[in-house]
Amino acid sequence: MSKTMIEVSDVTMRFRMNNDKIMSLKEFVTTAIRGKLNYNVFTALDHVSFDVQKGETLGLIGHNGAGKSTMLKVISGILKPTEGSVKTCGNIVPMLELGSGFDFDLTGRENVFLNGAILGYSEEFLNAKYDEIVEFSELGHFIEMPIRNYSSGMLARLAFSVASVVNPEILIVDEILSVGDANFQEKSHRRMLELMGGGTTVLFVSHNLAQIREMCNRVVWLEHGQVKMYGPAEEVCNAYA
Amino acid sequence: MEQKTVNLKKIFAVCFAVYLLLTVAFYFLAGEQLRLRDSRGNMGMPAADTGVAELAQGVVIEQIFSANIQRLESVSVQWGTYYRPNAGTVTMELRDVSSGALLMAQTFDAAAITEGQVLTMTAETPLEGVYGVPLVLRLYSDAQPGSAPAPLMASSVQNDGQRLTVNGAEMEGTLCFSAAGTDYIWTGLHYWKFVAVFGALLVAVFAVILRRCRMGKRSYVVNAIIALQKYRFLIRQLVSRDFKTKYKRSILGMFWSFLNPLLMMIVQYFVFSTIFKSDIPHYPVYLLIGIISFNFFSESCGMSLTSILGNAGLITKVYMPKYIYPLTRVISSVINLAISLIPLVIVALITGVHFEKSAVLALYFLACLVVFSLGLGLLLSASMVFFRDTQFLWGVLSTVWMYATPIFYPENILPDRFKFVHQVNPLYHFLKNARMCVLGGVSPEPVIYVQCLMIALVMLAVGALIFRKAQDKFVLYL
Repeated sequence: MSKTMIEVSDVTMRFRMNNDKIMSLKEFVTTAIRGKLNYNVFTALDHVSFDVQKGETLGLIGHNGAGKSTMLKVISGILKPTEGSVKTCGNIVPMLELGSGFDFDLTGRENVFLNGAILGYSEEFLNAKYDEIVEFSELGHFIEMPIRNYSSGMLARLAFSVASVVNPEILIVDEILSVGDANFQEKSHRRMLELMGGGTTVLFVSHNLAQIREMCNRVVWLEHGQVKMYGPAEEVCNAYA
Repeated sequence: MEQKTVNLKKIFAVCFAVYLLLTVAFYFLAGEQLRLRDSRGNMGMPAADTGVAELAQGVVIEQIFSANIQRLESVSVQWGTYYRPNAGTVTMELRDVSSGALLMAQTFDAAAITEGQVLTMTAETPLEGVYGVPLVLRLYSDAQPGSAPAPLMASSVQNDGQRLTVNGAEMEGTLCFSAAGTDYIWTGLHYWKFVAVFGALLVAVFAVILRRCRMGKRSYVVNAIIALQKYRFLIRQLVSRDFKTKYKRSILGMFWSFLNPLLMMIVQYFVFSTIFKSDIPHYPVYLLIGIISFNFFSESCGMSLTSILGNAGLITKVYMPKYIYPLTRVISSVINLAISLIPLVIVALITGVHFEKSAVLALYFLACLVVFSLGLGLLLSASMVFFRDTQFLWGVLSTVWMYATPIFYPENILPDRFKFVHQVNPLYHFLKNARMCVLGGVSPEPVIYVQCLMIALVMLAVGALIFRKAQDKFVLYL
């Protein structure tokens, strides 16, 4: 009955780290001639496999540098894995660092459309949902102002509103539930639960174990690029903590 | 899937209709030049060093030659006067050597001839069937000795199959004459056949794609069309962002796209029309076409150059096809280009350029320029990610390129040994032909269109290929 929405099979991601980053042709040629083009290979993900079923919420936990963000980037298609493959099904809305598509010279209204387009929404959809977005963001008439005048809280609210208006098939969330004031945090939290209840498949990264326990069905624990543990949320969280 | 097939059919139908429309439009806009071109067998005039003989009454000068011209239109002879006033008339005749039939004849007033003047006799209707046939150009006059002019000759030039005689006695050298005409263009004569063949080919390709699509296979074309539909809104948003932010806090706003080339043209017009004293007709328009084209080229390439790097924040966070970034930059430049065509038309009307229908064809060469710029932009933006030197190199290169392109100077200013600079410069070809369409009022010959399209497509293919190969590594180097 349940459908596999994300299938990560044996993904390995290696970065070639130059000892010092070569940024110019001259440096490249001279170091190549001297035979000093050596790389330190850094393995960010090492044969990682897991899958996510439809409607499930999967948590990703691990210490800093364990490869969580790299994993999310591979799944959302930004990075191409060195080995292995990722199969996804349906449209993905990545909520990685919200508002990265904002242009600070444009008004809030123009940014709603720009950011919406970047997230892959259609024009008809944005037109229909525009009022809802503005209402959710609580920006009121500030929406017609260039966003360089916005406070960081206002920016975060706008970004979350745009990102969460859609009912995506796959939602990728990287620690964003701490935007805005307490009131808005509560509201965004509710919205997330609402999305999850609506059958959206969610990939969720957080350091907040309480949140993970509350929201996730299953959890993948990454340690130095490898899957340390993969199982039901309660079990993995207990082991991690 | 079913819906997409229907969609594809519609798109293909539109493509085919556009193809038909363009070919028909081209047929009418290109006019005569589609079928006829200046003959490759046109004979140039040798440099004169002496007179043949005084052409007094009773003297007959004959030059035998043959020309590889399909439609002979005119024959010219250069004359000397001994720097004295002459009287009487001189007559030029062109006859077929074997049959002796008179092909062309014209009589000129000897008194009106000035030293070194070239007299041209023109056929009422172009002569056909004289291709490679030996012809004799006969000169005689009724002027008295002492007041008769003399045709000039080049005493050291001796070509095969040519003979110069004075009263039947052979002379060393060649008469200073030239012959001009037009040739038929094979492709032009068979234009509709070509159109039909390509149309059939197009339909066949569409049919194959549709079939493959029904069988569930995705070809490049289908993927590209789907991507285009999917990202159309995004592209529009990004272009409008480029445009809005560009003129955001300026008072005149969009008007600058209009004003900029105009002001530049005025400055350069005053500078260069005094320095070069150029004799280019309609110099302001000549200049403006150059400025607009080159501005577009350098703007789109310069903006594409930084497009990947400048959007690093987005590329590392959201997935979208990366070619969208350079593409949107080029599209915004195209809009700019379109706006700056308005001052061009206005200036052309003010300075009295007579627009022929061929002026529309200049758009074809601008389109080639756009495709070329897109290809180069893709290449530059990819290269910029790996080597930040690209921007400095490009700064120098674009300056060199500007001087290697006849934007503000006439193209004949270059000495012969540097002519190759123009020949290898794609911008020169686009620009020359665009100017020919607007200012010359005639369309270039058909092969030029194919050449320009090829140049543009090759650049696009090279750029796209390199970009495609490199794009997966972008994220790692940003």
